[in-house]
This record gives sequence, C-alpha cells and structure tokens, in this order.
Amino acid sequence: MATQKATMMYAVLLIIGLIIGVAIGYAIKPAPPAAAPTTVTQTVTSTSVITKTVTAAAGPQEIVIRAMTVGPDEPSYNRFENLKRAAELLNKMLADAGIPVTVKVEGEFWTGSWEDYKNKLLMMFQAGEAPDIILSGHEDIAPWAEAGYILPLDDFIAKYKGLWFFDDMIPSLWDSVKYKGKIWGIPQDTEARPLYFRKDLLKDMGWSDEDIEEFKKKAWNGEITLWDLLEICKEAIDKGVIEEGYCIWHRPKRGVDYYQIYLAFGGILQDPETGKLVLDKKAMLNMMKWLHDAVHKYKALRSDMIGLDWKIIHENWVAGKLLFWFGGTWQKAEWIKKYNMPEEEFWANIDFIPVPPGEKGGKPVTLSHPLVYMVSSQSKHPDLAFLIVALATNPLYNAIHAVESGHLAIMYSELSAKKYQEDKWLAVSASLLEFSKFPPNHAKFGTYDEIVFKAMGGVESGELSPEDAVSYIVDQLKAQLGDEIVIKE
Amino acid sequence: MGKALVIRDMPLKRLLTIKSVTVILLIAPVLVFIIIFYFMPVFLTFAMAFTDMDYRFQWNFVGFVNFQRMIRDPLITKILFNTLFYVFTTLLCFNVGYGLLLAILTSLIPPRVGNVFRLLWLLPRLTPPVVYYLLWLGITSPYPYGLINFFLVDILGLEQYKDVYWIYAAPWAVVILANGFVGASFGMLIIGSAIKSIPIDVIRAAKVDGASLFRLIKDIMLPILKWPILFVTAYQTLSLLTSFEYILLLTDGGPGFYTTEVWALHVYHKALSAFGGWEFGYGAALSLVLVVLGLALSILYFKIFRFRELIFEPKVEVT
Repeated sequence: MATQKATMMYAVLLIIGLIIGVAIGYAIKPAPPAAAPTTVTQTVTSTSVITKTVTAAAGPQEIVIRAMTVGPDEPSYNRFENLKRAAELLNKMLADAGIPVTVKVEGEFWTGSWEDYKNKLLMMFQAGEAPDIILSGHEDIAPWAEAGYILPLDDFIAKYKGLWFFDDMIPSLWDSVKYKGKIWGIPQDTEARPLYFRKDLLKDMGWSDEDIEEFKKKAWNGEITLWDLLEICKEAIDKGVIEEGYCIWHRPKRGVDYYQIYLAFGGILQDPETGKLVLDKKAMLNMMKWLHDAVHKYKALRSDMIGLDWKIIHENWVAGKLLFWFGGTWQKAEWIKKYNMPEEEFWANIDFIPVPPGEKGGKPVTLSHPLVYMVSSQSKHPDLAFLIVALATNPLYNAIHAVESGHLAIMYSELSAKKYQEDKWLAVSASLLEFSKFPPNHAKFGTYDEIVFKAMGGVESGELSPEDAVSYIVDQLKAQLGDEIVIKE
Repeated sequence: MGKALVIRDMPLKRLLTIKSVTVILLIAPVLVFIIIFYFMPVFLTFAMAFTDMDYRFQWNFVGFVNFQRMIRDPLITKILFNTLFYVFTTLLCFNVGYGLLLAILTSLIPPRVGNVFRLLWLLPRLTPPVVYYLLWLGITSPYPYGLINFFLVDILGLEQYKDVYWIYAAPWAVVILANGFVGASFGMLIIGSAIKSIPIDVIRAAKVDGASLFRLIKDIMLPILKWPILFVTAYQTLSLLTSFEYILLLTDGGPGFYTTEVWALHVYHKALSAFGGWEFGYGAALSLVLVVLGLALSILYFKIFRFRELIFEPKVEVT
C-alpha cells in the first residue's frame, strides 16, 4: 500500500511539474506593448461621418531592424557598420524633425564559412525568423527569389529616382542583381580577381625591370596566354627559384574564381536570352587540359591543391614561395592586416595582371562577385529596411568599406571620393573592371559548380583524364539540371 | 511496520489499471521525446524521400524518381564501396579489434594504471570534433607546419617528405586513424566492463589448470565476451555507417575524385550543403538506403553471433 501510494504521488508530482513548466514558459513570454487609444475621425460617405477609434503607440517608439551580413574576411566589417551608420543618420534626421521614433540596427557580421552562413540563412527563412536585411553574394538572388524569401526592389528604387545615389551606380552592376526582369538587391561592393605575380621571384630568374614591364604590357593587351604562364613556371622551376608544385595556385575550396580559366578559354556560363546555364564543352576541356598539364606536365601546381588550408596558401604567398596566385583584390588587406606583410613589401614585390586568355587572340578576363543587400519578404518593416540600405549606399560609407577591405567602388562618385582616391591600391586595381564578368544568377548554379569542382579535383589528382572529366560533367549536368542546362559542343 | 502490499489479493483488472497508468505516466516524458525526436524524423525522412523537396520546402511527391536517379548515378557504386571499406576497416582495426585489445590489456595491468590508460584513450572521444580536426591538421600538414613532417625532416633527415601533405598523400589512413582513435574507446569501455564482471574463480580455476595467457583469453574470456562484442560490433557498425563529421572536416570526400566520399557524407553534400543545392528529397532517399543497409547488417550479425543462443535461457540452473 505504501509503495503504491508513493508511486501515485510521484506520478502526480510529475504531472504537476510539467504543468508548472508550461505555465512558466507562457508567463515569461514578453507581452506586446500596451497602446493608448486615439480617436480618429474618418469620413466614409458624403452623407454621414463615422468616428472610428484606433489605437496607436504612445510615446517614443524604437523599431529594430535586424541584419545578417558576411565577410567572411574580417576587414569587411563595414558591411554591417555602414547599416548602423545609416540608422544613426536616420535617427538624427528624425530627432531634428521632432518624430519620436528611433531605428536600431541589430544583427551579425559573419566571419565563418560561406556554407555555414548560407545554411544559417536558409534555416532562418524556414523558421520564419529571417532578418530584415540580408547581405550575401548576388548568386543567391536566383534561388531566394524563386523561393519567395526576398522582395523585388524595383518599386522601392523607383521612389528614390533622381534623389539618391542609385542613379550613380556603375551600370554593369545592376546586371548582377537582376533576375527574371526584376531587381532583387542593391550592390554593396564589388571586387576583381587579379592574377598576382611576384616581381622579386621574376628578378631571381634573371628578369630585368624592363622584362617585367614588357610582360605586364603584353598581359594587359591579351598577348600572353595561360599556356605562356606555365612556360614561365617551367623556367622558374628549372632555375631553382621555386619548388615543384609551388608556381601557380588557385583557390582550394568551392567558389567562383576557377571559372576565370573556363571564361579565358572562351566559355560562357549563362545564355543571356533564355537565362539557362551553359556548358561549353570545348572551353571546359581546355580548362581541364590546362589544369592537368599544370599539375602533371609542368609541375607548376600541387596535385592536392583542392582542400589545402587557406592559411598554408597565404603564408606561402607572403613568404615569397609562390610565383602566381589567382587571388582577389581584397586579399591585399588580409595579407597586411592578418599575415603581417609590410605595405612597402607588397608594393615592392607584388604586381598583378588580368587572367590571360587561354589562346592567342582572346581577351583577358576577371570575375567580379558583387555582394548585395536584399530585403527579406518576412520583414515587418520592408520600407524602413530598404531606407536603411539606401542610406548606407552612399559614396562616403562605401569608400570607407572599400579602402579598409580592398574592395572596389560601385558608384562613380565613390571613385572620386577623397578617401578612395588616397588609396593607391584601389585606384590601380580598378583597371581590372573593364574585363569584369559575373557568375550567373541561376537557382541551380550551385549544383553546376559542385559538379565542375569535383571534376577539377579528379583531374588535378590524376584520377580523371580531362576527357573523362568533361564526360562526367556533361552526364551529371544533364541528369541533375535537365532542361536548365544547354550543352554547347 | 505496515502491511506489505499483497498483489495476489487484488482484482487483476484493478491491478493492471493502476500499474499501467503509473508506468505510462512515468515514461510519458521520455516517450514523447522519442516520438518527436526519433520516430517523427524517421517518418518525415521516409515521406521526404518520395519528394523533390529543396530550399523551397515544398512537398511535391514524385514517386520513385529519387531512387531511379540513385541507381543511374555512376558514382553510387564508388561511394558504396568507399562506405563498406571505411566501415569494416575501421571496425576491425579499431572499434572492435583495437577496443578488445585495449580492454584486455588494461585489465591485465594493475587497475590504477589501467584507469590512466583508459582515460587517455577516452580523450579523442571527449575532444570537440573541430578541435580534434585541428589537431590532425597540425599533425599531417606539410613542413614546417606538421608534426609528422617535422619528425621526418628535422629528426630523421628525410628531406623527401618535406612537402607531403599527409591528409592528401594517404587520405584513407588519416580518416581511419582519426575515426578509429575515437571509436576504440567505446569498445574498450564496454568490453572492459564485461571483463571485470567475469567471476574471478573462473580465471583462477583456468590458471590452476595450467592455462597460458593466450589460452585464458581465447578459451575463457572471448566466449564469455561474445555478447558485449556483438553489441559493440552492431552498434559501431551503425555508428560508422552514419558518421561523416571527421571525413567532412579532414578531406570533405576528397582528395581528388570522391576518394573518401562515404554514403553519409554524400547525403550531407546533397541535402545539407549550401553549395549542393539543398536537395532534401534526394538526400532523404539516400538516407533510407542507409537505414536498410544498417538493418541488413544487424540481422547478419545476429546470425553470425548466434543471437538466439546468447539470449536462450539455460535449462540447467546452477545454485
């Protein structure tokens, strides 16, 4: 009997505990702010007047705008700070106008991996907790617009026509934010991807300053090809200036940089008319052949390039062990701030050219990857969120970001901003923009990229021949993309 | 002293009602937890496998399309082979094999010393995966960053290893070692506890009869340890089938062309990777195959280890 009573008591206590837990959870949920009633007179018909009582917030009001922004490079922290500056500016205007509303920007500047950032955003969208403002790569516009996660901004932009710096934006950047005829983002910055080279190593090979200048001139004119670079690598290795596998490196993780090689061989990624993704088989085969020979014939590239840690790459570059690096304009700031490269050493020993064409007669290329501000469809204050983005998009704030992080101007007036002009690197690297191309805005480009990247890894490791790699790419693209891919023979 | 509860005097119906209600109330919280976090995801995964769900989270049923795609994928055979190779090599060399060896060795030495070694072997399991990965990065990186190459180049003078990045030179070895060091501790603990519960009289009797250490292990300990070894084998097989975090961190399925891509990692790449297109439907279909494979292997183990005999109640009772 005692045992039975004790058991029943425990069971009852358990139920009571559960009920108390639920009650506490409900009780600590914040209540909505109380509002004072206001009487508003509204005329509904010409013969009668109806007085309708509505509630409005009493006293000063704070509106919180949430923003998720990303580097991942740490010097790009102004992508978030500029939104806060914009809110500060807006609050001063509102205070001066006697409007008792303040806007507070909260959120995050992400310095982890791109993949984790995008996964986090997807989970936020799905949970209904998306931020008001999202900064991400322009390639995310296609899938997020398809899924209804972001708002088209044409009407928002039209409100400010003739009144704001949107009219001053470098025109080609608007192409990167268009999808199915609408604008879905405001460009935040852009960059270019130079092919860096080390002048000191070329001098160690016996090149004079005139030889280096001649090389640069030919490269900018499209007279040097990717194959010529491999011959220079062979010369450097033969002369013992660099070790085998340490001549020309590319990014070790997923990204868009390696498509410069495909574009350099005349490939295109997207049909401008239909918007479908395109694989140019000939260009892709040439890209794979170049990578294959770079590793296995010229010994200019490591066979385990893909997967190498970023730290190893940057440390080898800063230490002067690599001759060529398919890099980005923002990396100068990283080398100086994070890897302690003296600025004088950068200017003395490093220079750059656009990515040379694959064959004689081609044009040099570079790939630009604009990051863009978007407004979430879940935002309760989309107009205000857009206003913050608009205020953040001005020559001064953008110049602060550009100079500190090594990104390029997006507005003509930014190019002439004092801060921007004082930065020698930005002035010099802006010359790449004439060769700029963009990755495509397509919902399935991620799948396309995964297939190509895997094939690259197979070719560089020696597991796949260039021909097998292209066969694999064609088969997988057809199987996974269906009608959305056009295979060009 | 109060009167003891006399169950046989109570009506059966009343007894069942009180007992059942009490039992259900007490296990209800855990039951709810298991239903929400185990059975529902399994059910949802099963349903999702027949959809083309992606980042749009739409339930669009497409029948067996995902499975047809799986069969037609030329990489599936390679990934399946990778998975079986990874699971059985890690299982035999570390999770069961080395775990058994560690359990026996640590029981043969004085308990205090044995405990120290058990704790050391638990450290990989206790270390957060990313930290553990960074340690392996520090061990396997090219000279002068990596410990192995520092030892080979600076201590042994073997300059030819200067540039070797061991994760990429010997990816399977690194992956199996990294996972094995974590897995061995589980077997060591389970089997070690079972060894401790072997009656000491049995060991003494065997020694008195002149049994060598080898015969003691082979003829006395191993037969008694059949049940824990079965448990560790089955559990660790299922665990290895679904584990991919260390492979993701170390090689991400590379180097090269799907060299160390195992099935669970392939599911991750397809379903949960921002760059893979968030193909939740296809990923769910791939996961279902893992469930079937796990079930099949469990049934096979039960047959190999003669599970029925293990749980069969002996007809003779020794008092």
